[in-house]
Amino acid sequence: MIPTLGHLAVVIGLAATVYAAGAFIVGGRSGDSALLASARRAMYAAFALVAFACLAMIASLLGHDFSVLYVARNNATTTPPFYSVISLWAALEGSILFWTLLATGWASLVLYRYRARLPALMPWVGATLALGTAFFFAVMAWPSDPFVRVTPIGLEGNGPNALLQNHPFMGLHPPLLYLGYTGMAIPFAFGMAALITRRTDEEWLAVVRRWTLVPWIFLTMGIVAGAWWSYAVLGWGGYWAWDPVENAALLPWLTATAFIHSSMVAERRGTLRTWTHALVIATFVLTLVGTFLTRSGVVVSVHAFTTSGIGIWFASAILLTLGVALGLLIWRLPELGDRRPPGAVVSRESAFLFNNVLFLVITFAVLFGTLYPVMVEVTGGSRATVGAPWFNLVNAPIFVALLFLTGVGPALPWGGASWATVRERFAIPILAAVGVVVAAWALGVPAAAPLAILGLATFVLVVMGDEVVRGARARSRGRGEGLPLALVRLATRNRRRYGGYLAHAGICVMAVAIAVSATLGADKIATLHRGETLTLGAYTLTYDRLVTERLAADPRVVETRAELTLAGPQSGALTTALRDYPNSTSAIATPAVRTALGEDLYVTLLAYDATAKTVTLHVLVNPLVMWIWAGGGIVALGALFAIWPDRRRTAFEAALAAGA
Amino acid sequence: MAMPLLRWTQVRWLALPLVLVPLGWLLFTGLGRDPSVIPSPLVGHPLPSFAATTLQGTSFSAAQLAGRPAIVNVWASWCNPCIDEHPVLLDTATRHGSEVQLVGIVYQDTPEGARDFLARYGDGGWPNLLDPSGRIAVDLGVTGPPETFFVDASGIVRARHVGPLTADEMAAQLTALGLAP
Amino acid sequence: MRRLALPIAMAALLALGALVLITALRPAPALTQAEQAQQIAGELRCPDCQSLSVAESQTAAAAAIRRQIVDLLAAGQTPEQVRRHFVESYGEWILLTPGSPLVWWLPAAALLVGIGLLAWWLRRGRSIAVSVEPPPSDGVRSRIRDEVEQLDG
Repeated sequence: MIPTLGHLAVVIGLAATVYAAGAFIVGGRSGDSALLASARRAMYAAFALVAFACLAMIASLLGHDFSVLYVARNNATTTPPFYSVISLWAALEGSILFWTLLATGWASLVLYRYRARLPALMPWVGATLALGTAFFFAVMAWPSDPFVRVTPIGLEGNGPNALLQNHPFMGLHPPLLYLGYTGMAIPFAFGMAALITRRTDEEWLAVVRRWTLVPWIFLTMGIVAGAWWSYAVLGWGGYWAWDPVENAALLPWLTATAFIHSSMVAERRGTLRTWTHALVIATFVLTLVGTFLTRSGVVVSVHAFTTSGIGIWFASAILLTLGVALGLLIWRLPELGDRRPPGAVVSRESAFLFNNVLFLVITFAVLFGTLYPVMVEVTGGSRATVGAPWFNLVNAPIFVALLFLTGVGPALPWGGASWATVRERFAIPILAAVGVVVAAWALGVPAAAPLAILGLATFVLVVMGDEVVRGARARSRGRGEGLPLALVRLATRNRRRYGGYLAHAGICVMAVAIAVSATLGADKIATLHRGETLTLGAYTLTYDRLVTERLAADPRVVETRAELTLAGPQSGALTTALRDYPNSTSAIATPAVRTALGEDLYVTLLAYDATAKTVTLHVLVNPLVMWIWAGGGIVALGALFAIWPDRRRTAFEAALAAGA
Repeated sequence: MAMPLLRWTQVRWLALPLVLVPLGWLLFTGLGRDPSVIPSPLVGHPLPSFAATTLQGTSFSAAQLAGRPAIVNVWASWCNPCIDEHPVLLDTATRHGSEVQLVGIVYQDTPEGARDFLARYGDGGWPNLLDPSGRIAVDLGVTGPPETFFVDASGIVRARHVGPLTADEMAAQLTALGLAP
Repeated sequence: MRRLALPIAMAALLALGALVLITALRPAPALTQAEQAQQIAGELRCPDCQSLSVAESQTAAAAAIRRQIVDLLAAGQTPEQVRRHFVESYGEWILLTPGSPLVWWLPAAALLVGIGLLAWWLRRGRSIAVSVEPPPSDGVRSRIRDEVEQLDG
């Protein structure tokens, strides 16, 4: 009964979105506001319907209703409730259902917020969003119906994918990522609307910038949380393997980041309109390409879902979207010419544009590397692999150049810089960077890569710090405010600039943490008998005993864990386990991770001998890893600060003013 | 006579097919394939030589396969799909035992584990070579058990099958080796 | 002092660069066999897992390959021979970096094309109108502009 209602909701949702698309188009041409209002309501209804369908699926999962194929394949009677609920996005059909929920949610939010604004653009924004969500409803109605029933009904299901039920992070990282992916439809819809109505003005740019940043924040957090999940679950001690699924998330992030930067040049100088449109289109198409790659079985990936018939649907949708969008852009190209010339070669504009070149080169390289095996094969070659060594070697220098630009950009004024400005802005940051590198080298940081990144990060941070102090002093002098108040006011009056600085500071933290953790870690593999010890760095691990038992939360899962005693920093008891899931041929590692500000201790159980009671452990010391996640958080906070709605006077400021 | 210069506004529509055609070709041809199937470079080449002790404690080498077709099956007692394909191997042994030599490679397993497996699911009597370190399997380019190599009478690898064999696939491979299924 | 700050900074940077270059050009100590084995393992794909190298993976096949790398090196094979050995049994697929030079040239070409386009765009812009933003005649003038900019972001 419940699954049937869920299926019905999907079918009605399809009808609602198709109606909305038609009504938006007709209403947009005729200006019939009643028709447009009904189109908006149809989109709200679609959101409500898919929300109901999601609830129906969650109810079926929680109730272990094995008459639903999806439940039978991804749930078992023993699956704990939490993992039952998040199984909504643990496999193909459910993840498309969840995706549709978020996509209609974003669409409804935007249509509601702008219901009385931008009357020329909004019908076309609505039409684009409605068509996009209609596609996902259609996918659920035909090739990937989440509510397909089976007979005879099994008494027990297959249980969720072992990898995806091993860590609560699975409840966090896909929703963040999907919120980012689906949200990128909003700037795309505004882009289409602007091209159709020929309204690519400053107002449009401001709206698109804001609505790119919102999903960008989620995409950033989703990528970082995904890396963290990979680190905490997969047990190999790393966090980024350049797996197609990771690349799929990175690609739209790269073009969206490029857009965020070039849109500032576009806004300030009324130029680059073709380019900003192209980036908006590329970002959305890349979210589709990413979904296609990881869900159609074209490339093998960590969690590529089962190969299915949706590949043709996605490939067609990608070609259609790109064809229509590119066609519109080419059609309007003669009208999108630059109104004003760009700035001088040494200027903030050119730094931003060089940043765009680099982001696009990385995008190209990552896309090329991900698709290279496919290209080799369809051109008649054998199988090829493009792995981390290639991606690292190609992309690391470009990322380093980007980090350098992060410092150069804010230090250069718009328009063009004089030699005096350059001298004034760069001397101290360069000296500080050299000083930090020499100090770090003297303190024993041996490798060139972390030293270089440390120097660059110092350069960037000092440039920004100098800017902030300079600005606060100027304001303090000019208005007679105390320095702290001047600082707060300066930041809250220029949210975009100082939010951007905070995001850049987060990038610096991440860059240093990545460089250090990639080069200065240590690891050891050893087989221990009971009572034996293993020493790595300051840590001494003693192997106490091996325990094999069923998990209390899910008795189908057998856990074999090594109980260890840790001496050294963070001393105490430590367990690291291998779990045998009935639906997985290989055991899933449950690494023990001890996180500290300086370094993580990471212990994986590689193998054990149940008769001899020996264990083989892989012990890693990963320096600064937690700063990668923290840096990601700072980046997101910075972006959030930048888009936070302006208020003239906050309570905090008032308090500071009273105190000053 | 000067050719009239084409302005970019006239040729700009060319960008559309230039982007869409290669992308469409890549996406749609990419769809019709299974990226997890890796062709073995051994096919068409002689079977790498190997020698090891069998479960019975005798020694066995690849040279003993010469003269008649062989089926080399890599398996392990910890491998669940191996249970599914075992009846197919047993059936082949009973029906074609005189024409084709079956050889098992016990991949990263203990002799006890392998014996238990055979005791439970049936011992066809063909030699099973112990490969506790996985060295023979790595020389064969094995990604994971079960994997099966079909070798002709002259010692050339004719096919490699990844994953559990079904009766139909076995029949097809036997036909390819020139044996009536 | 202010006028000297940048030359001093550049000199310090150059000195640091020279130091790095000298250390980088110093012949690296020969790798031990264990280090060689680790390096090769990092370049080979783990056959029975996703996107991980043999060095990073814990699966049965990865462990077997690691053992064999050590054995082959101990038997006197060069790292290149060891790599070829695995390519012969697994195919080019086992290498995490494809052999085709195309995979290096294409990203490099993309970078050059990108920089070329940017240069073209900036040049074209300057030829449209030179007088939009005249270069400041002295430092004071640019300081004023920068200060104003500080205030209005």
